[in-house]
Order: sequence, then C-alpha cells, then structure tokens
Amino acid sequence: MVIRMSEKHFSLYKIFIYVALITLAISIIIPVSWVFLASVKTNAEFYGNPWALPQGFNFQNFIDAFKIAQVGDFIINSALVTAMALIILLVVSLPAAYVLARFKFKGRRFFNGLMMAGLFINVNYIVVPIFLMLNGWDKALAKMGLQFFMNNRFVLALVYASTAIPFTVYLLSSYFRSLPKAYEEAAEIDGCGYFTTMVRVMFRMAKPSIITVILFNFLAFWNEYIISLTLVQTKALKTLPVGLQNLMSAQKAATNYGPMYAGLVIVMLPTLILYILVQRRLTQGMTLGGLKD
Amino acid sequence: MKKLISLSLAGLLAASLVGCKKADTATSEGSTSENTLEISGLDGGYGTKGWEEVVKAFEEKEGVKVNLRLEKNIADTLRSEVQAGTYPDLVYLSVGSKGGLTDTMIAEKMLTDISDVLDEKVYGEDEMVKDKLIGGIYEGLATMPYADGKLYLAPINYSPCGLFYNANLFKQKGWEVPTTWDEMWELGEKAKAEGISLFTYPTTGYFDAFFSALLNETAGPEVYTKLMTYDVDAWNMPEVKKAFEIVGKLAQYVEPTTVANANGDNFKKNQQLVLDDKALFVPNGTWLPEEMKDAPRVDGFEWGFTALPKVDAMGDAYATTFTEQVFIPKEAKNPELAKKFITFLYSDEATKLFYENGGAVMPVKNASEFIGADDMNALYYTVYDNGAKSNAVGFQVMDNIVEGVSVADANSGVLYATVNSIVNGSKTVDEWYDATLDAVKQISEANK
Amino acid sequence: MKKSIARRLFITICLAPAMILFTVFMLYPTVNVFMMSMFKWGGLSDNRTFVGLRNFVSLFKDMNFIRALQNTILIIVLVTIITMVVAILFASILVREKIKGQNFFRIIFYIPNILSVVVISAIFSAIYDPSENGLLNALVSLFNGGHAGTTKYLGDPNLVVFALIAALIWQAIGYYMVMYMASMSTIPEHLYEAAALEGCGKVKQFFSVTIPMIWDNIRTTLTFFVISTINLSFLFVQVMTGGGPDGASETVLSYMYLQAYNRSSYGYGMAIGAVVFILSFTLSWAINRVTSRDSIEI
Repeated sequence: MVIRMSEKHFSLYKIFIYVALITLAISIIIPVSWVFLASVKTNAEFYGNPWALPQGFNFQNFIDAFKIAQVGDFIINSALVTAMALIILLVVSLPAAYVLARFKFKGRRFFNGLMMAGLFINVNYIVVPIFLMLNGWDKALAKMGLQFFMNNRFVLALVYASTAIPFTVYLLSSYFRSLPKAYEEAAEIDGCGYFTTMVRVMFRMAKPSIITVILFNFLAFWNEYIISLTLVQTKALKTLPVGLQNLMSAQKAATNYGPMYAGLVIVMLPTLILYILVQRRLTQGMTLGGLKD
Repeated sequence: MKKLISLSLAGLLAASLVGCKKADTATSEGSTSENTLEISGLDGGYGTKGWEEVVKAFEEKEGVKVNLRLEKNIADTLRSEVQAGTYPDLVYLSVGSKGGLTDTMIAEKMLTDISDVLDEKVYGEDEMVKDKLIGGIYEGLATMPYADGKLYLAPINYSPCGLFYNANLFKQKGWEVPTTWDEMWELGEKAKAEGISLFTYPTTGYFDAFFSALLNETAGPEVYTKLMTYDVDAWNMPEVKKAFEIVGKLAQYVEPTTVANANGDNFKKNQQLVLDDKALFVPNGTWLPEEMKDAPRVDGFEWGFTALPKVDAMGDAYATTFTEQVFIPKEAKNPELAKKFITFLYSDEATKLFYENGGAVMPVKNASEFIGADDMNALYYTVYDNGAKSNAVGFQVMDNIVEGVSVADANSGVLYATVNSIVNGSKTVDEWYDATLDAVKQISEANK
Repeated sequence: MKKSIARRLFITICLAPAMILFTVFMLYPTVNVFMMSMFKWGGLSDNRTFVGLRNFVSLFKDMNFIRALQNTILIIVLVTIITMVVAILFASILVREKIKGQNFFRIIFYIPNILSVVVISAIFSAIYDPSENGLLNALVSLFNGGHAGTTKYLGDPNLVVFALIAALIWQAIGYYMVMYMASMSTIPEHLYEAAALEGCGKVKQFFSVTIPMIWDNIRTTLTFFVISTINLSFLFVQVMTGGGPDGASETVLSYMYLQAYNRSSYGYGMAIGAVVFILSFTLSWAINRVTSRDSIEI
C-alpha cells in the first residue's frame, strides 16, 4: 500500500515535470514556426489574424528580399566580418586567458580585475566615442589622401573582437583553471617550451570551451547592429542586420511585410544551423566559477 | 589546421582591403567634382520614384551630376557622416523626423540661411519663389526655426492633416460628418450604441498636427504663435486649457486597444481600425491611403477626409498643413547649386513629376492643376476650399536645451506623449496641463 | 635566470594584444564617456560647454529618469529571480531525471537565445495583441468560458513592464539552463549516492548537494544577469514599445538613447551612460559580497 502510494506520487511528479517541459517547449516552437510561416504570407495577410495559417506558399518574398534589399551582398559582408572577428578574437583571447589562468605573476590580479570590469562596459554608450576616435584617425590620414578606419570591414571586425574580449577571456580562463596541473607538468618533463605547451597541450584541452566561445560570439557578431550601423556607411559594405533596415516597417509608408519576414528568416537560419551543429558540445565547454584568485 | 587558419585569415584580410579600396574610389569620385550635387534623404511615405525623376530632369537641364541617396534609416547614417565632417549639399529630412537629426542640426545652428532663395526665380520660369509658394507656407517655425524671419528650411510636399473616416459607413448609417465638437460627442454616443468607437490615433506623434489645429480653434492663430515660442502667459490662458479638456473628453471615446498599439511597431493596427469599421475617425495625413493600400477593408469602404470640428458654430475649423522640408547644411560644398536645385523643386515640371510618381504635392499655388478632378487626392486638398483654415505645426527651436525636459518631441514630449496616459486613465487632464505648463516655464526661463 | 626572462616574455606576448585592443576600443571610449558626461553638447557641432557635474544633478531631479531607473531595477530583480529558479529547476531535472526526449528539450529551450530581437519582438507583439486575436487574450478566453479577454498588455502602464519581463525571461531561460547544466553535470555521482544513503529525498538532495556544488556558478551568472538584462531590456524596449505608453516602459539605456540622439542632449545622455556603468558595477559587487561563501572544492 505504502509502496503504491509512493509510486502514484512518483508518476504524478513525472507528469508534472513533463507538463512543465512540454509547455515551455510549445511556447518556443509555436512562435518560431510562426515566423517561418509568416515569411511565406502575402502582404494582405499580415493585416488579419496573426495566427492564421498562410493561404499559399508565397516564395516571392524571398526573391524580393534578395532583389529589393540586396540581401546577397549583405550576407557576404556579415559572413566576412563575423569570420574575421572570430579569428581575431580567438588569436588574441586564447593566450591571454591561458596566461591569466595558469601563471602567477605580478599584475595578474590587476589584469583579471580589468577583464572583470570590462564585462560591465556596455557597447551602447561607447559606440560614439569609438566612432569619433576612428574618425579622428581617418582625418589625420586624409591629409595623406587615405581612408582606412571608417567603412572598413576589417576594422569593424577588429572592434567586434575587442568588445568581446572581456567575456571571452573570462569564459576561457575559467575553463583553463578547471584543468588539472598534471598536463603542463607532463609537457614540461617532455621538454616542451611555454609556447609549445600552450598550443599543443592546453589549446587542445580547451577545445570544448573554444566551441562554446565560437557559438556565443557568432550569435553576437552575426546579429550585431549598432556598431555596424555607426562604423559603416558605404552601402556595399553593410552587414545583414543593418542592410535589412530598408525592409523594416516605417511610418507613412506601406510596409512590405512579406520580404521583411523573409529577411528575418534569412538572418535566423545560419544561427539555427550552427547551433544545431554544435549544441552537443555546448555544455561541455562551460565551467564558470567565481574568480578564485 | 594552423596553416589553414592563417591562410584563411590572410584571404579575409585581402578581401576586406579590396572592398575598402573600392569604397575609396567611389567616394573620391563623388566629392571632388565641382559639378556634383550630393543629396541625402529619407525613403519615406512618398517613395523614391518622384525624387529619381526630378533629379534626372535636373541633371539633363543643368548638365551636372546628382548623387541621390534615399534610405529609410537615413537619420542614423547621416548622423555618423555629419559627426565625421562629411556633409551632403542638400538634405531631405523633416523637422521632427525619427532620430531627431534635423532638430539637432537646427539647435546646433548647422543650417545655411537660404532666405535669398525666396527672391530667386523658379528654375526655368519667370515667377519668384516667394510668389509661387502658397501664402504663409514658408513663414512657420518649421521653415524659420529661430523665429527671426530668416528661412533655413525649404518647404516641400505639403499635405493637409485632418481626420480620415469611412465615407460609406456614414452614408449607410445616415450620419452627418460633425462640424462642431458638440455634434462630435453626439455622434460618439450614437456610434457607441452600434459598438463603434469614435476615435483612434496611430501614435501620439500624430497629435502634433491634431493639437496644433485644436489650439488654433480654441485660442486663435495669434495666441498659437506665442504658444509655439514658449510664451508662459499664453500657455496660462483658459482658452489653451480648453484644448486640453477637449482631448480629455475625446479620450473617453478612444477605441480601447489604441494605446496598446500606439508604438512604432504596431501603429498600423490602429489605422486598420477605421478600415474595419471599429473606429470612426483617425487623425492622419494624405499619405494614409497609400500606406494602407494592401490592407483588407470592409465592403464598400471609401476614404473620407475632414478638418477638425469647430469649437462652436461661430468658430473656425482648422486643418494642420503638414510640410516636409529640405535644407542645406552650413558645411555643404556646393550650396549655390543646391539652392538652384531648390528653385527647381518648385517648377511646374518638378511639381508634375513629384505628383505623378508617388503623389507628393509641392506647396505651389498652381499645384491643384496637376491633380485631376477625378483623382482621389483632390478630396484632401479641397478641405481648405470648404472653409477650413490652415495652420502650421512646430515649436521654435530654443538656444538652451533644458536636459530631460521636452514639450514638443512628437513621441516623448509631455504635450503629446501624455495623451496615452489620459486615454488609459493613468493621468488626469489637470495633471497633463500642469506638467505641460511646468515644462514650458522651465524652457522659457532657461532661455531668458 | 634565463628561464625567468623567457617566462616573462611569454606572459607579455600573450597578454599584450588582448590588453591593447581592450584599452583602445573599450577602456579609452569608456573614459571618454565619463568625460563627455561633464559637458553640455548637442552631439554634432564643435560647441561644447563644460558644466562639471551639473548633468548628474539634473539627472536626479528628472522624474522620467528616476522612473526609468526604477523600471530597470525591477526588471533586473524579477528577471534574475524567476529565470534563475526556473533554469536551475529545469537544468536539474534534465541532468538528474530520466526524461524521455531530454536532448530534444535541451535543444529547443536554447533557441530563443539565438533569435534576433526583431524576431522576438514580432513574436511578442502577436502574443500581446490587445484584440481578441492576441494569443494571450485568446488563451485567457479559453479558461474564461469563451469570454474574449482583451487585456492591453502593452497599453497599460502597470502591465507593460511585466509584459517586457515575461519576454525577457522567455528569451533567457535556455541560456542559463545550459550554463547550470554544464556545471551540474560535473557533480560527482557519489555525492548523490551518499546523500541517498543518509535518507535524503530528491528535494533534500537538490538543496544539500546540487545547489552548494554549483554555488560559484550561480554567483557568476548573477553578474551576467545584471549585465545582460540591462542591455537586453533596452533592445526589447526599442523594438516592442518605444518606451511607451507615455514613458511607462522606459529603461535607463533607452532613456539614454532618447536624450543623446532625439533630444540633442548628448552630454546628458553620456551622464546616464556613466550612471549605468556605475550602477551595474555596484550592483554586481554587492551581489557578490552578499552571496560570498566558502567555495566547496571537490
């Protein structure tokens, strides 16, 4: 009798868990599929009930998005900038994180503190000072008839990478800290130098964490709007989120809802695909502890 | 692996540098030539076609090159460029537009005085600009922002703002379009009995036109001019408070979902209410039918347009005349050519091109010649022929900004944004009026 | 001796690039924000007047700013508490329980985090639609005996902030859940076995094993909550409500934007930026102090 009670109790508990999980899952699946469905609706359908299914498959929206908004060019720019920014970020952050996590030296506390403080800097208010600074450099260059810092996808990627350094170094160094000392000791016995140890042993160990970093920052760079808007004015060099602005709804003008949602789907797809590819590794790469210093 | 990364890095670098060089040549090509006119502007309600045609015509006549760039987020793009010290020769972005760039440039005195354009002849014609323009259209604070009699912005695309409704619905129900506010309230009760709300509005931003017309009705045009220059005594007059009270009463008849949708993302749902016969009137400008052209509507729907009801039968009805503006930045490289281009905007040829490619109407006296009588647009521009008076919209730009205080900002200033709070009941008309008065006082004191 | 030079050289080479980029593109601009906050400047021309701390004085007399500050703090507190509780619970269920479709749930829950804000805003404006077409209103009417509820979630000044909070939580749960799952999966199984032997039930195990073992992780995520909520609430407000109705949903960063760009008060806007920096810093520091315990090493 007692056992039965607890069994019943147990299954109730399970049911409750499933209900909770399924509710949350549905609350995500429905709206996301709604965006996909909306992207094949015709303009008139957007004024009616938002939850009505599309009356047909209006693929023209995607063609329009490519034609009107030149989405093709923007995708290339976004891909280029995101890729460069990720490479710069990893090249710069991995050694820094490794040194901050595994070496004891004077000033280490200071640099760790600096990275922590960096987490609190919000891009939204530093974007104009960054712009003014780059612009000042360009003015100096203009005397020699050059322009480099504005309207340059490489500089944009450099700024993206820089703004992501604190978070990335923080995440990576937390991971490095969790690795056992034995690996470096073994490498030292094998006669490896600092550099070889770092690249051959430690970076390989940090692979799950690197994947996490890539995913997080890919999402951030791919969707970034405000820096890109400020630093790039040449239309041919704009990134996808900024370029899509011309599809967005504006006052006093008829909205092209269909191509707008098609554009949104185009932005969303690469992130979804990347996430599904790496999601298995995502949880392995994170060990976020407090800063034990 | 390492090799691969460094290879691809080099590749990316090369690609980005190539892109950069391309951009360089493009800009230097544009800015070095003496005979190039750089125009930047908003891809707004009238579309880009009209501008493209007018620019083409000007290029042919004048033998110059015009670089036209119209974008939806031009305010953001231009802000960066202006900060960087690159200025177009002509900017098409109205006072009060989203992003506040034009307003900031006015406040920072970055516009060229173009008063002399008024005495120039219209391009290719014998009439002077000031004679061809509709009387008074260039004398408001939107074009002379410092109230010093000097023209800094040239008015284009004029359109009456009033109340839109479904004319067919009125026919069916046998209702008259109200001419006084008392009739308006009666209609409100009748409509309520049928389950229709009297009023809705897209966002509170549209109250700049609505409220300006209302203030002209209650207090008269002379007081109105003082109000727009932050004259505290004028704001203290009971006639002014009366306008607040009318809006307060109107708030009770506002369609209940209006406030929830009165934001940049959802305002079209409010405009849709009129198409669905859920609300009778919506204040708006002549671009509305075009803006809602794809939207579904009740059978037999027919746009109707009227000025605001009068305060009493003896009073005047007003409809705000909304204009857009172009201006020449002070640092423009080619101001003379830009001025020439402005005079061309008022020519018969440009007026025709603008109207036929997007429906924009130039504020010139003979504009109606280009609007066919059977044209739907004729309806709006006859509003003044039917006895309504015209008023301009916009506050004077003050030298000293009081941080955190705004009366005039269309979407967040205390005068307009508070309407949402009146409608949803979180503030009273007295609180609204007092807060406005207080803000006016602060601004007026800071600029003594 | 030679080794120590090599070591120092190695440390310098590794650190320098990151620190240089950080200094140039983050530290210097931040210092610049603090400097600009002491000027009256429209943001475009060369007309700048030094006003000392006057911007800060007016800031704390500006009731709209105070309201934005209150909204921000309310959003941070509620989003943090609710998201954290739900995320920890779900994480522990997915890690500890035998659930069918575990992998499926893990993948799905993270998706809101990868959507762009514009998509989320479009989704939620359909959910919060004030007419009976709104998903939430339709849902309420199901339980209401068919009476179409027409609550104006984004039109009511008392509801709009909570509507934003719900959207923020929806977006954040998956992200934090994955973080907690990562750290829960490193808890050695024998700790649970020991607890079970002592007769601890599931609930007791959760509080005596799971929570203490991931405590450091919880503390870290608290800092993330503060930082990311300030940022995300701004993005959500920009696209969903524009700060309305009548400023009721304004947050500190959206108010900063309004001032710096739409109101030609750039210096004033930067003063708000400075306050945001100090606020997030102190808040995290305070949370860190309050939650400080001896960390448990395995």
